[in-house]
Parts: sequence; structure tokens; C-alpha cells
Amino acid sequence: MTAALVAETRKATASVVVRSATALLVVGIVALSAAMSLAVDSGNEQVQAKLGPIADKKGWTRLIGLVSMISAPAGLLGFGVVLSWIIGREFADGTVSGLFALPVPRRAIATAKLAVFWAWTVMVAAALAAACTLLGFVLGYGAPDSAVIPGLLRLWAVGVLTGLLAIPAGWVATVGRGLLPGVATTIVLITFGQILVVAGTGPWFPVATPTLWAVSPRDVTWVHLALVPLASLLFAGLTTRTWHRLQLDR
Amino acid sequence: MAELKCSGLTRVFPGGAGVHRIDLQVEAGQVHALVGLNGAGKTTLLRLLIGMLLPDAGTVGYGSRRLGDVRPADWARVGHMVGHPLAYPELVVRTNLALAARLHWVSPNRVGGVVAMAMAELDLVKHADQRVRILSQGNLQRVGLAVALQHEPDVIVLDEPTSALDPSGVLLLRKVLLRRAAAGAAILVSSHHLDEVARIADRITVMNRGELVGELDPTSPDIERAFFARVLADDQSRVR
Repeated sequence: MTAALVAETRKATASVVVRSATALLVVGIVALSAAMSLAVDSGNEQVQAKLGPIADKKGWTRLIGLVSMISAPAGLLGFGVVLSWIIGREFADGTVSGLFALPVPRRAIATAKLAVFWAWTVMVAAALAAACTLLGFVLGYGAPDSAVIPGLLRLWAVGVLTGLLAIPAGWVATVGRGLLPGVATTIVLITFGQILVVAGTGPWFPVATPTLWAVSPRDVTWVHLALVPLASLLFAGLTTRTWHRLQLDR
Repeated sequence: MAELKCSGLTRVFPGGAGVHRIDLQVEAGQVHALVGLNGAGKTTLLRLLIGMLLPDAGTVGYGSRRLGDVRPADWARVGHMVGHPLAYPELVVRTNLALAARLHWVSPNRVGGVVAMAMAELDLVKHADQRVRILSQGNLQRVGLAVALQHEPDVIVLDEPTSALDPSGVLLLRKVLLRRAAAGAAILVSSHHLDEVARIADRITVMNRGELVGELDPTSPDIERAFFARVLADDQSRVR
């Protein structure tokens, strides 16, 4: 397992895909949030209308709400693309054939891939929360007080939960033997999640839970949140099982 | 464990292609060549032997163990290149070899030495710090061969290992395989370069239309003629 973790970590750190996604997720989301916050301050009615109740808030509360609201769908896109690459690239590059007949079982290799991906999402979520804090200072909101810190922690947790939501993309990339099936699954998950949020079906569907928690924390309980890791564990199990039973017959 | 064998091995794909009732034994200390025309089923057979495909019938054995019972410690003594080399384009040659060595259970303190020796043996030292992405097909194949051979395996399975190599690469590979065979390794190599195979193989088995159809004498003066005669005889026997 250690050898698989070392290999997957080395591949991820050398990857242009992972580096680009990290930069886009952290810098892109914070820059977009800053632009929207400034647009609200300058009285842009279109942006105010789109943001709804968040536009009425001020300072840290509005900034954290904006970053959280954007990071749930945008994060899922970035995370899904990266996991699709981590898994699907073995098929696209043809390297999967070299992962047979090794003393390190394919189940361990798949587990290592998911572990490295999960660790990366935790770090990206932390970097996003740190970048949001920095932006708050730059915008002159002062040091975050005890009322703001829980919001920043929730922002980090939304990122971590969003990363977990991308796990089904890894399973589909395995079954579909490539990157594109995983990316397509990510897009379906984002669309499905947004439809559920707009339809007001509530937080019982894990795909919508992080977005709802970001927008309206009071409507989401710990039970709803716990469904997200449970669902991702199910798909992680499916992914490692599919790798274990893999045959190169198509 | 240095022995690879299969018995009654069959795998048929939709449409009827595949391999049928294959009995094969690759013995310790021998280079066993599998020759056949394109589409004869060589790659399918090699995939079955290393578990990339599961058979419809028959068994594969590594030493005294069946494929499903092979332990991780036994897999650590196997090296193969069947399909694309295990080499990631974003990593340099040295790193690729080091990661592959770890995946073959080479202990971390030995990895540096093992990689250095493999690069010297396959003349890859000048490419050590180049990304695999920019290598030529021939050098990529050398990296794949180094991945398969650097941990000094007892069982070696190579599919068309010289297809992209230049003459000097072919000579280097020949030397490495003969050295491994002399150390007791069982080596199975598929090829359709008959002259090249004849130079190092102890046994040559002919495959045609998914079946083993006989053997050739590696010392035969006109091995090409003997090969085509064997294939033609098999084709004619199927027509009758």
C-alpha cells in the first residue's frame, strides 16, 4: 500500500492537470467572489438580484456566503475532472496494463488513488478558506472574530464534502475505461444537484447537500451531512471492487 | 517459482476470435518464443497468462501455484511488458523506474542502485532526467523493458519487445534476456521477427488462429520457410 501511495502522490504532484485545477479552484473562486462582492457594493442590481439574500448581508458574512455558494458547484467540476484524470488516465495512456501482475494489488492502487485525491481536496478546501480570509483582510473587513470563524470552517467543510461528491466520477471512469465518462458524470452530478436545490427538495439528496449547507446552513442537519461521506464510501467501495475484478477485454 | 505453464486455456470473444485449448510450458532457464502472424492470438494468450484476462476454461500456473493463488511475494518475481509500457509521460525516466521498482517490492534503500543498473544495461543513462513524454518510441520501449526487467524477475513475459527498438536496442535486450535465462528465469517472448527469435530462443512455438500448431527448431537454417509451411499446413487442415 505504501508503494502505491508513493507512486500516486508522485504522479499527482507532477501533474499539470492537478496543478491547474488547484490554481483555478482557489484563485478563480476567490476572484469571482471578490468581483461579485464589489459589484454588490457598487449597486449592480442584476448581481444583487442573482445573489438573493446573500446580497443583503455585509462584510465577512457576505464574502463567506459568496465563496461557499460558488465553491459547491465549481468545486465539484474541478474535483470531478481531477479524479476522472487520476483514474481514467491509466486507461487513456495505456499504463493500466502495467498495473497487472504486481505484488501491489490493483485494489490497493485504486485505494491509493482515492486517498491521494481525498487528501488533495482537503488541502484545496483549506487553501480556499485561507484565500477567503486573505481577501477579507484586503477588502478591509478586519480580523475574523468568533462569529466569523465558524463560517470559515464551514467553507472548508463545504469544500471537503464537495470533494467527496466527486467519487462516483472515479467509478464511472473505471467502468467507462477513460477520462470522459468521469467528466460527463461530474457534469450530470452538478446539473442534478442544481435542479434539486432549485426544486426545493431539501437536503436529503447528498448531491445537493453541500450547496444547501453553503446557502442556508440552518436547513441542513448533521444527519444530512453524514449522508455525503456515506454515499461516497459506497462509490469508493465500488471503485476498488471494479479495479480488483478488472479485465482488459475491451 | 521459475516456471510458467497453462493447460487447456481457452478464451473466446464475441465473434469467435480468441485462443483455444492452449497447453504451454515455459521452463526455468529457457527463452521460449511464441511466433505467429498478426491476429494469431499471441497477445490474448499473454494477457491470459498474466491475469489481464480471465479464461473461459483452463488453468494458468506459476510454479506450483494456480494464477488465483499466486501470492504477492511471487508476483514480485514476475516482470512483464504486455501492451503499453508502465511509464507516465509527465515523469522523468529515473522517477518512472523508481516508482515501478517500488511497485515490484524493491526495498526503498535498493531502488537507486536497481534503477541505475537498469538504465546502464539498456543504455538509458543519457535520458535519465528526460520526461517520458519527449522520448522516441524506441526509447519508450527501452523504459518499458527496464520496468519489466530491473527487479531481476524469475518469470518474464514480453509481447513484441523489439517492435520499436533499433539494432543496438535489440542487441542489448538479447544480452539481458540471455543473462536472465542463465540465472534461471523462465522467459516467454512473443514476436514475428523470426530471425531475431531464433538467435536467443531455446524453444519456438507457432501459433495460428488461436491455437498452438507446432514447434520450430531454433537451429533450423531456414526458419522462415519452416514457419510458413507450418502455418499453411494448419490452414489447409482447417479447410478440409
